[in-house]
Amino acid sequence: MSRGTPLLETRNVTKLFGSVIALNGVSFSVHAGEVHCLLGDNGAGKSTLIKILSGVHEPTEGEYYFEGSPVRFTSPREALSHGIATVYQDLALIPLMSIWRNFFLGSEPKRGWGPFQRYDIDFAKRTVREELGKMGIDIRDPDQPVGTMSGGERQSVAIARAVYFGAKVLILDEPTAALGVKQAGTVLRYIARAKARGLGVIFITHNPHHAYAVGDRFTILKRGRSLGTYTKAELSREEMIRLMSGADELEAISHELEELARRDVQEDAIVAHVEEQLAESLESEAEALKRHPE
Amino acid sequence: MTVTATSPPKTDERLANVGLVQILLRRPEIGALLGASVVWIFFAFIAPTNWLSINGVARILDPSSTLGIMAVAVALLMIGGEFDLSAGVMTGTTGLITGLLAVKLGMNIWPAMFISLLFALLVGYLNGLMVIKTGLPSFIVTLATFFILRGANVGVTRLVTNQVRVAGIDEAPGFYTARMIFNTEFTFLGAEFRTTILWWIAITVLATWVLQRTPWGSWIFAAGGDPNAARNVGVPANRVKIALFMTTASAAWLVGMMNDLRLRSAVASQGIGQEFVYIIAAVIGGCLLTGGYGSAIGASIGALIFGMARVGIVFAGWDTDWFFSFLGIMLLAAVLVNDYTRKQAEALAVARAKARTESEEAEP
Amino acid sequence: MLRTTRLTLVFVILGIVALVFAACAPAGQAPAQEAGAPAPEEAAPAEEAPAEQVAQTGLVFGLAVHDNPAESLFWGVVEKGARDAAETYGIELKSGGSLDPAEQAQLVETYIADGVDGLIVSLANPDALQDSVTKAVDAGIPVVTINSGVNVYKELGAITHVGQTEFVAGQGAGERFNAAGASKVMCVIHEEGNIGLEERCAGLEDTFQGEVVRFNVATTGTRDVAGTSASIQDKLIADSGIDGVLSLNPVIAMAALDAVQAAGGNQMLATFDLSPDVLDAIEAGDILFAIDQQQYLQGYLPVVFLYLYNTNLNTVGGGQPVLTGPGFVDASNAAQVKELAARGTR
Repeated sequence: MSRGTPLLETRNVTKLFGSVIALNGVSFSVHAGEVHCLLGDNGAGKSTLIKILSGVHEPTEGEYYFEGSPVRFTSPREALSHGIATVYQDLALIPLMSIWRNFFLGSEPKRGWGPFQRYDIDFAKRTVREELGKMGIDIRDPDQPVGTMSGGERQSVAIARAVYFGAKVLILDEPTAALGVKQAGTVLRYIARAKARGLGVIFITHNPHHAYAVGDRFTILKRGRSLGTYTKAELSREEMIRLMSGADELEAISHELEELARRDVQEDAIVAHVEEQLAESLESEAEALKRHPE
Repeated sequence: MTVTATSPPKTDERLANVGLVQILLRRPEIGALLGASVVWIFFAFIAPTNWLSINGVARILDPSSTLGIMAVAVALLMIGGEFDLSAGVMTGTTGLITGLLAVKLGMNIWPAMFISLLFALLVGYLNGLMVIKTGLPSFIVTLATFFILRGANVGVTRLVTNQVRVAGIDEAPGFYTARMIFNTEFTFLGAEFRTTILWWIAITVLATWVLQRTPWGSWIFAAGGDPNAARNVGVPANRVKIALFMTTASAAWLVGMMNDLRLRSAVASQGIGQEFVYIIAAVIGGCLLTGGYGSAIGASIGALIFGMARVGIVFAGWDTDWFFSFLGIMLLAAVLVNDYTRKQAEALAVARAKARTESEEAEP
Repeated sequence: MLRTTRLTLVFVILGIVALVFAACAPAGQAPAQEAGAPAPEEAAPAEEAPAEQVAQTGLVFGLAVHDNPAESLFWGVVEKGARDAAETYGIELKSGGSLDPAEQAQLVETYIADGVDGLIVSLANPDALQDSVTKAVDAGIPVVTINSGVNVYKELGAITHVGQTEFVAGQGAGERFNAAGASKVMCVIHEEGNIGLEERCAGLEDTFQGEVVRFNVATTGTRDVAGTSASIQDKLIADSGIDGVLSLNPVIAMAALDAVQAAGGNQMLATFDLSPDVLDAIEAGDILFAIDQQQYLQGYLPVVFLYLYNTNLNTVGGGQPVLTGPGFVDASNAAQVKELAARGTR
């Protein structure tokens, strides 16, 4: 695939914690308008890689390029200022705080002058309602504490926030992990929508079905090493699952996803396409499993 | 008051449905307000003559004011997720430093006060730095500071004065000017009020403004609610926490100066044991011990409850023996009311979220 | 339902508080509306009327001391003295106190706002209370200072002072230790911020011919008596030259007695102030002597003085403080004093 300079790229990145090798020579990249799935079991090195990408850790060895030029991030804030936004598993939302405060946390809109500079609260509330409206979430009261929202809603607040603040690359750390079927479907739809807007999305998951539904390329990590990067055409679902060695839960997941696929298709074409594919591949998956039980 | 369907189209008509009751229930200080009203009404029945006089009000506000200044600062720190057990003894330390400089070195009161402010800021900074660098609970770190200061208070004072107190601060040049500003009496509606009350009100307003209307407010809530999450979105949580420790220390300095200027002397035991009173006032005012939630106004009301209890018991002619039992019961009642109102607010919000999800599902 | 129950619970608790406090109001308290103070002539002399028939004078006195009388053995006796006198003379007494000078000053000012007819104040921190006391005097409220403050009471406009001078009492202790043949006495300081204690030690240093060491146990003090006892014992072991111990408080005296016995029992022990167990120890010969400042008088006498001032404009002392001590209790008179101490009046 030749699509010019990737938005973000690492080459042979290694990270040591003391004598423990968390990541060993991993190369990885994401282009604009692409969903690159990062797969792997617990402890495979996914979190370490995204922490390097988002500026939490500095790599011990290897290079990190952003839009073709080498970068060195010493804080998440720096990565953020380059347009690399990370939505962590724990969401980086504060449950006791209101939606609008959470949305603008760390990048508050200001009004006024000098020491009398204050938070532009009206703007914040209005913007939150508009932005979430664009994501299809209708918030009635921006003062509502985030803790009272559903898991899917919270994920979408976090994603909407990243998009609003001009993210070029969106790193999503297991956004579907703790969600029910329906809510996971909602989040997958937002991923597709972000991709359609031209963002590069790095989607971390250990659910191969969620990955296959929205992913364009797949990188599989195991014990700190990359097992390779594949396009959707190069990698069948069966192969992917075998590589991840997470086949035991499949039956349950396929049920989940079947239900997901049955959902009413009301979003734009990309989303519809994604879900169609999802349903198809799931059925074939389930059949394949029935024929070759492990 | 209520926004109705006929209101201008710009207003989101759904906001009207949130309801006044719920907005009230969502305020952290509602429990304290309820408690304060109960205590006030209670004493208004027991000792109406003095309680309802303007003099009575002045008396209640006197002890409430210095306590309130500390409670507000401690509330900010608690919202930011930390404790400061050295806050009480710091009022003594700053008072002693100013007193020793003024009495032993014959310094003008103003530079003496300025030096003790610098000292307070330094200790606040170190408290914050140690909490952040070591990752130890601030409870432990500031407990250590508490003991260090407590020992130093006695040790240094005895070393310098051969006594455990510093007397005669009023002979320092500038004393009466400083007194005018920080702690003097003024007549208002025929009663003698203390200027500390004005400071208290100003500080409460300022703290509320910072919490509600500035980015710092969001950062404080976030630093206490989930510091890692806050850091991940670029909130300088460490800086916020250090600033909060320095705020508490500065407030302690202010109260220390107010004591010096009122009492013309400083004793080495000043402020010991008060740190818990500050925390209690903040908790009565709706602060969560776990951080991330609370209010400056609430903490002030918590301090007011203390002041009312202290004065009310005297006006009622009861044994002051029962003062602490009274406080304990007030604390318990306030915490129960807080807990109750918060659960109500959450239940309402969850019910609404559910209703919304269901209506979403029902859509074709 | 659950919600209602919980809210009810809160109100029930508040209700209980109300009842508890209503019940604690002193039984002898004058009904609020009986405010019209009778003319001086009408006030019945106390001795003639049986206690339960004492005519209420309508006078209210406030007692503000530098410790919480409810939590202090010493100040409890002072408070009892004041209460007994108040009951005898038909006076309403309000009492309280705090180790925090700011709180004590606030209490005084609350009494002033409450319109008391007389104030009894201990002046451990004269500077701190200067303004409040002056304010009372300016408001025409007679003030009697007690316990500490003998040097400043006149300046502040108090009608008299009732107490013992700490320095003189300390001197007395020094002379007794001289007579007993001690060579090195440890003066145990159990409280931070109380100059009275420092003055006692200074008095001891003044007359005692041997060496005096000051030992600070304020970190444990009377709050952690076991800890205080252990510290004293450590000190005695560490410094074997000490052959006398002067405690400045009866609770500390008992702690010191344990420490002395645990360390071998070679030291002479003396204390300021009495308690039933100190008296037992004196009788048993474990404590050499106790300096008694007869604090009951420091509560009782000011009430009488203020009563006389209010009803007859009498002042007592002729410009001199009224001394309640130092009295000495030793093996010769311990038994009699003991009976009185059991009643909480010595």
